[in-house]
Amino acid sequence: MTSAPLTKPRFSWDRVVQWSMVVLTITLVVFPAWPIVYQSFLAKPLYDQGRNFTFSNYTKMLANEKFWHILGYTAAFAIAATILALAIGILLAVLINRTDLPLRKFYFNLVTIPYYVSPLVLAFAWMEMYGPQGFGTILVRALKLPTWQLYSFWGIVVVSAMYYIPNTFLYATSSLALADPQLESAARIGGATPFQTILRVTVPLLRPAILYSALLTLVSALELLSIPLVLGNGVGIDTLSTYIYVLGVVGVSKDYGAIAVVAIFVVLLVTVLVYLQGKLTTLERRFVTLGGKATRPKLLELGKMKGVVSFIVGLYILLGIILPLASIVLESFVPFLSPFANPLKMLTFENYQGIFSSPAYRQSVTNSIYISIFAAGIGILFMALVSLTAYRSTFKGRGVVKYMALYPRAFPGIIVGIGFLWAFLLVPGIGSLRNTLIAMSIAFIMRYLPLGFSAVSPAIMQISDELDRAGRVGGATWLGTIRHILLPILRPALLSGYIILAISFLKEYAVALFLFSEGSRVIGTTMIELWKQGGAEPVAALSTIQMAITAFLIFGSTRLLGVKLHGK
Amino acid sequence: MENNLIIQNLTKQFAGVSSVAISNINLTVKEGQLATLLGPSGCGKSTTLNCIAGLEEPTEGVIRVGDFTMTNTAKGLLLPPEQRQLGMVFQSYALWPHMKVFDNVAFSLKLQKVKGDELKKRVMDSLDLVGLADLADRYPFQLSGGQQQRVALARAVVTRPRLLLLDEPLSNLDAKIREQARVWVRELQQRVGITTVYVTHDQSEAFAMSDMIAVMNKGELLQFAPPEEMYSHPATQFVAEFIGATSFLKGVIASMDGSRLTVRVANGDILKLTDRSSKSWNVNQNVTIAIRSERVEMAGAQRDGNILNAGVKSSTYLGSKWQHVVDTGSGSLKVETVDTAPSERMSLYLPPDSILLFPEEK
Repeated sequence: MTSAPLTKPRFSWDRVVQWSMVVLTITLVVFPAWPIVYQSFLAKPLYDQGRNFTFSNYTKMLANEKFWHILGYTAAFAIAATILALAIGILLAVLINRTDLPLRKFYFNLVTIPYYVSPLVLAFAWMEMYGPQGFGTILVRALKLPTWQLYSFWGIVVVSAMYYIPNTFLYATSSLALADPQLESAARIGGATPFQTILRVTVPLLRPAILYSALLTLVSALELLSIPLVLGNGVGIDTLSTYIYVLGVVGVSKDYGAIAVVAIFVVLLVTVLVYLQGKLTTLERRFVTLGGKATRPKLLELGKMKGVVSFIVGLYILLGIILPLASIVLESFVPFLSPFANPLKMLTFENYQGIFSSPAYRQSVTNSIYISIFAAGIGILFMALVSLTAYRSTFKGRGVVKYMALYPRAFPGIIVGIGFLWAFLLVPGIGSLRNTLIAMSIAFIMRYLPLGFSAVSPAIMQISDELDRAGRVGGATWLGTIRHILLPILRPALLSGYIILAISFLKEYAVALFLFSEGSRVIGTTMIELWKQGGAEPVAALSTIQMAITAFLIFGSTRLLGVKLHGK
Repeated sequence: MENNLIIQNLTKQFAGVSSVAISNINLTVKEGQLATLLGPSGCGKSTTLNCIAGLEEPTEGVIRVGDFTMTNTAKGLLLPPEQRQLGMVFQSYALWPHMKVFDNVAFSLKLQKVKGDELKKRVMDSLDLVGLADLADRYPFQLSGGQQQRVALARAVVTRPRLLLLDEPLSNLDAKIREQARVWVRELQQRVGITTVYVTHDQSEAFAMSDMIAVMNKGELLQFAPPEEMYSHPATQFVAEFIGATSFLKGVIASMDGSRLTVRVANGDILKLTDRSSKSWNVNQNVTIAIRSERVEMAGAQRDGNILNAGVKSSTYLGSKWQHVVDTGSGSLKVETVDTAPSERMSLYLPPDSILLFPEEK
């Protein structure tokens, strides 16, 4: 009986694909990271002959007073922006989701607008409205009222907070939606008023969400380039990101060693924060009480204050979001924007003609569109396969994949760009790819690997694994199960992941700043080029184009395809 | 009977866990029979099933159906699930929500390149078998739980698999439907004549459906026997406790005469019993005796002793009968009566043939 011949397992591509995903993920992270580490120990630029190892880059930087000053300034800025964004975001989340605030449904969508707008555009928009020569500033000055200085620490903090509020708002909102309403009902039965319930039960339940989005915002603010650059550059304000940018792009003699050291410093700092954030996610399970959502709790009644509160929220949206964005759109259609000249009498397409008549600028728009459509498409499929390997395979290396796929969060965009640039310079045989959209797309995919991964993973984990087990026992390979069962079920999640990725790719500028060259410009890099030349109106036109494409993507996907972009 | 399912020395240890999930399981399921793995949650029954399915990798062991070896760790053989040619029904039924009933059932056949009329015929035959041929065009969410469960079964048997694996397939059904489902799952299994491994924690399900029952606890196979034998001769105290409403009293063996023994319980009462296990006993050995609640009789015309006097502690009405917990002075007993308890005190008769004897557990 025991001498029966053994059936050998047939070959299947499953392991090959799983291996490839692991290797690709690791490569994607290590590829741009190692040249930075390498460069930080080299005296000369890494493509020069005669490579001498040295620690002098480190010793010089650590002895550099300016570096420490910038570090302190960056920390102060990031913390202030985070606190402001959290306070307003959570307040808005509670008001809009948990009270009978008039117009709350209408406000919900407006509050999230900056989420879809590039921070670069937001910076330009605020500059147009509230900068020293801004429409709003001049108007207030003409009314003999006290004005403000946008090109300052607090100016940068406020605009950055405006950019981050949708994040903290959405995070608190989804956390509020997850909380079991029975917990609130129990407080009411126990004798708490609606207001006491919010204060003692609802908001404390948000604590992990608050901490989590605090770290998320902090990490993002530490590496934020655009707003400090646009608002602070003229008045000598530097953060770590703008410092790297100045050292590497603007500076006459580019100090590669210094760039590498600052980059490593930022990556290590952010790694610590990302690690803490990861710890929090596991702690969070203690709090988030998934439960029946059949009954929504009664909304808190604001009473007489209702009208006033609604007016204040409306004013915030109008002054903080609508007017700046509207002014940049308007500016794109006029030769100049001023409260002293009626813009409607000067309407023109000149700014757009200027952009589309220049092949380089025109190309930056088409490049951005190509990257949004194709790189995001390839990217989301890749991220889905990585996530499936991590969560839906028995592959031994799957634990590593989870960490690796999330690790690029520790790489600020500008550093990703530098890393890829140097890696393409260093690795023989691929240098010719450096200035192409392929290199740009790979860098974008690496930068947004964590975003795509965390957009797809929850959807994957929601699918009962009995569905794939049934597929396997039914005769399908791992890949067959993915193709026939998981991907069809995941289609809505993949589609919304794709749109989110496409919008992010369209907005992205920091990764491209170092990497772009003739032929691989994107909208963001051209905006910064034009801004440096002082052309506010062409910048406004590009901003408008970017917002128009984004709006098209959002409306097309949500209305026509029924995609849900947030609030899963 | 050539194509028996044979499991040898099956052991599974999860990485980073010190205790084994299943330990050295050996059993043989005869071709065409239905064997049930029964035990409390965490006993290893689902792990065993998943090892058979190839969904989990055992640390050690052999699994084969006749000559077809699916797992042999010593020879490094581990066929992936899709190459084992099995059918499986899951607890959640695991019907693919994006496919119609027809496509769910057709899935495996399509992978085997069955096409056209033959595909259609085999799928419809299988759906006919479960009485759902007219629902082939529905999506799973349009079906009731009972119907989904039947589709899952049709899907599992459509390829004429070597084995049918059922992982608590009835546990998500309403109590009423569950009892009907038992009957027809068993009927279907017998009609198709397919060797089946059934996992459940519900003993009444196991008794209603099985040719053989394997009781498991803490990763070990305690007893593998036909249902009647399992009930009348439980191998261990755990099995006796897990199956049926059983009471236990501690005692000491007072005398021995072949298979006839007497046991002295705590308050000095002597109980006679007939031991049919092949265990060896000694006088003065500490033992535990067990008796099913339905075997305890009201004392009356019996003439051979074995009478215990007890006070009623609590009475529970179960619809068809009353169940009482009584205190005998030597421990508690569960007792059943048709009517409510006659009085505060009862005189109980324990038939010698109904008393089970186990060595005292440490």
